[in-house]
Amino acid sequence: MLEGSKALLISCDISSLVIDTLCKQAVDENAAVACFYFDFATHEEQSPAVILGSVLKQVVYGLEEVPERIVKAFRDREKVIGGQSLALAEIVEFLQDISSSRRTFICIDALDECPPTHRVQLLDSLYQTLQNSSGARIFLTGRQHILGEVDKHLAGRVASRSIIPTKEDIIIFLQAKLKEDTMQDAMEESLEKEIIESIPETVSEV
Amino acid sequence: MSPHHIKDNINSFNASISFNNVSNNYTMADEKSEILAWLSPLGPQRRHKDIRTRRVDKVGDWLFQTEEYRNWIGGIQGGKSDGSALFCYGGPGVGKTYIR
Repeated sequence: MLEGSKALLISCDISSLVIDTLCKQAVDENAAVACFYFDFATHEEQSPAVILGSVLKQVVYGLEEVPERIVKAFRDREKVIGGQSLALAEIVEFLQDISSSRRTFICIDALDECPPTHRVQLLDSLYQTLQNSSGARIFLTGRQHILGEVDKHLAGRVASRSIIPTKEDIIIFLQAKLKEDTMQDAMEESLEKEIIESIPETVSEV
Repeated sequence: MSPHHIKDNINSFNASISFNNVSNNYTMADEKSEILAWLSPLGPQRRHKDIRTRRVDKVGDWLFQTEEYRNWIGGIQGGKSDGSALFCYGGPGVGKTYIR
């Protein structure tokens, strides 16, 4: 029965929650919000240039005008057959440029799903993006085993916080799921109460 | 070359001329969408929408009250961090959180 709670509070939920909240604030502040969700299942390459290219795209999308330097880079590359894409260093530079004059939130979910070599390069690129850029803010999620690596590569920049579902989270979650139950009649109020009351104070993880 | 082939060639020539005319008349908006497509073919917002739909409202809201989050959103220095980056981590079992 409680198997369903497996999906209670996984990293993408936290990312999605934070991104939604940032997006609401962004409208008032004229800030940019960009996100990337890592996905084991995808067959597409998820290299740092691909990830930050996608982030840059989202940031540029929100701008009234495409920055001149990007337009120039595009027009220069257009002449090359196939339209050569930007190098990682250029992407980082453009992100730095934009975020130095505009609050820019970059959210990357499930960083642990990124292959280790790409991950280190990505973290270093994020660190660089933060250099000389007062408006950039980075939000990351992932499993605990990469905490040391994140601390090392974003030294002086990053704070960390563990995410463990609270009892309240579990109650809200279960109530929502019980409402969705297709066999509504089978769930009597007293049984629902019993289930909620049986939730322990602490949640242990497997 | 048969007349048929010549006609085909003229047609494709005309097609390329009209294509060139179109590309000469690009508006800024057209170029912006081309630049966006060039920057990245990906659209992760779609994934965000999928997750958004299955997420339960109010679960995890406590994060916004934590000192770490407040420092990050405010860009305030705290501990080892200057407030510019925040890493939220789950234990090795996150995504597999069971109630015992």
